Amino acid sequence: MAIFVDRDTNVLVQGITGRLGALQAKLMLDYGTKIVAGVTPGKGGQTQFGIPVYDSVQEAVSKHRIDASVIYVPASFVQDAAFEAIDAGIKFMVIITDWVPLHSEMKVKAYAKSRGTCYIGPNTPGIMVPGQTSLGMISPSAVMPGGVAVLSRSGTLTDEIASHLLEQGIGQSVVVGLGGDSVVGLRMIEVLKLLKEDKRTKGVVIVGEIGGTMEEEAAEYCKIEFDKPVVAFVAGRTAPRGKVMGHAGAIIMGERGTAESKISAFQSADVPVAKTLWEVPLLVKKMV
Amino acid sequence: MRLYEYEGKEIFKKFGIPIPKGRLVRIWEEARQAATEIGEEVVVKSQILTGGRGKAGGIKIVKTPEDAEKIAQEILGMELEGYKVNSLLIEEKLDIANEMYMGVTVDDENGVPTAIVSTEGGVEIEEVAKRNPEKIASRLIDPLYGIRSYEAIDLWRQVGLTGETLTSASRILFQLYNVFASYDARIAEINPLVITSEGKMIAADSRCEIDDNSLFRHPEFKDLHIQRIENLWEREGVKGGVNYVNLEGNIAVMANGAGLTMSLLDIIKAAGGSPACFLDTGGGLSKERMKNGVSLLLKKAISDARIKVILLMVRMMISPPDAVAEGVIEAIKEVKVKTPVIAVIRGREPYQKRAQELLKDSEISLYSSVEEGIREAIKIAKE
Repeated sequence: MAIFVDRDTNVLVQGITGRLGALQAKLMLDYGTKIVAGVTPGKGGQTQFGIPVYDSVQEAVSKHRIDASVIYVPASFVQDAAFEAIDAGIKFMVIITDWVPLHSEMKVKAYAKSRGTCYIGPNTPGIMVPGQTSLGMISPSAVMPGGVAVLSRSGTLTDEIASHLLEQGIGQSVVVGLGGDSVVGLRMIEVLKLLKEDKRTKGVVIVGEIGGTMEEEAAEYCKIEFDKPVVAFVAGRTAPRGKVMGHAGAIIMGERGTAESKISAFQSADVPVAKTLWEVPLLVKKMV
Repeated sequence: MRLYEYEGKEIFKKFGIPIPKGRLVRIWEEARQAATEIGEEVVVKSQILTGGRGKAGGIKIVKTPEDAEKIAQEILGMELEGYKVNSLLIEEKLDIANEMYMGVTVDDENGVPTAIVSTEGGVEIEEVAKRNPEKIASRLIDPLYGIRSYEAIDLWRQVGLTGETLTSASRILFQLYNVFASYDARIAEINPLVITSEGKMIAADSRCEIDDNSLFRHPEFKDLHIQRIENLWEREGVKGGVNYVNLEGNIAVMANGAGLTMSLLDIIKAAGGSPACFLDTGGGLSKERMKNGVSLLLKKAISDARIKVILLMVRMMISPPDAVAEGVIEAIKEVKVKTPVIAVIRGREPYQKRAQELLKDSEISLYSSVEEGIREAIKIAKE
């Protein structure tokens, strides 16, 4: 299998009858994602685009083999929805919803860890393996199968950078949005460890931004262990201090989380840092 | 959302954490009466939403109710650290034998709460961490179970507390964690935690910040949150469901997504341009949110003559193209302004084509290259 998901991954959509859930389920189906079931409490027995809808994840799991769940429920229900998926034994989740309460995020993280469930998000565009499957909202027109993995904390910026790669003829092995909040599931370094073993991935583009320490951690790993070429981009070089820049995780507190700290961490790991979106593919071409 | 000291203390009181005797006054005429009720000597503390009040002259100890009134008259309405003082907390003056620290916050790297204690308080904990790390102990807490009494005891024991002091401090830490958890706090802090010469333990200050994403669970703070945003445009942004941060330049920038918007600002600045603001509409756009964002920038352009051009970028992922285009068109129709508008529309097909199609007859200049859109915006701004 590629990273986490591939064309054979059976997908559950939690919140499949909601406004956003339905729209996205349709787009995923169009791309070829194997959505086998949906869950919306109270709507069990109905179908959505021909997909059976169940009242609970447990019920869906008893009727189908489910490898991954995509969660589109409103922010106030995310904690419950994630716990439900974890309790039903689902091992990979994509939590798309944004504006999720911090304390819910901490609880989901602790519970998932205790039960051995991996997840990306919340506040993520999802994960896409070009030509195979999409769990989330990354644009098909921004990708094609290839050898560069894109790893990011953003949504539209991820899509934008993927499309700059595509415009220069560079395809992607996988595009992963980790989520823009300060407490998310998988961290960059955890995904890098998997990409190290992934045969299709020849190089990596890390799309970082201000706030937190994920990029520094990833840079350190690139320096010591990671043996594939990496190119980085860091958003927020000119962001003012102490202001939350849209993402709850994008805030500079004192000396922590600055773009300078991240850029210098990458540079000391010999990872070139692109200054513009369109410089990313040029640097990738030099490296790979 | 940061709470005022007095609000934090009201919460502490509910949770059984001892606080000083005190009264909040909003007009100076009430200060004398308040001071008389509390005791002879009192502390007058200005209520502002930032630290460093003491150094800036926002906290005064006075000996008589007359002096309390005089000081209140002086401080109320004053500007401290960029914040206007609208209220004062008048409190009993504590007979301080010792000052300690305790706080609960979020450890981003591990994604769990962390409890921190120190036998040195009254100064910034980061300072103590640098100077006397042995006076600090911290511990990650499992958010599913919350802090356990023995964890609180163990923490304070590590920094040398014993006997009655150990158990009292641990009880307060246990309750502080409960405040943190019950109020969806990003941080709950007591600094200093005072030990009086009679051996009583009292929270002399409070710092609580509620996570904005959790405000739906705390309706009593939800409206206050919007009212308390000082910048008019930032407040309008929150009302309209978009994230706005004021900057000083002449190119007003809006995009759908935080990372994308920040990148545009960085690129503009590196190319010699100067952004006037950061406006992130967030993902999954509705017509209304799109319209709110564009209207805000148009209104800002009317009120701020420095703004020479407006640059919009929409990366189409799942936002319906009709909603995006109609949002822009309606905003431009309602808020009439001469400032040129540049829009870069890219992304999922056929969404990109559809949105461009709908916008091609409007007055805005359309681009499908970010580079060209930015170049044009900078050119106009420099004319």
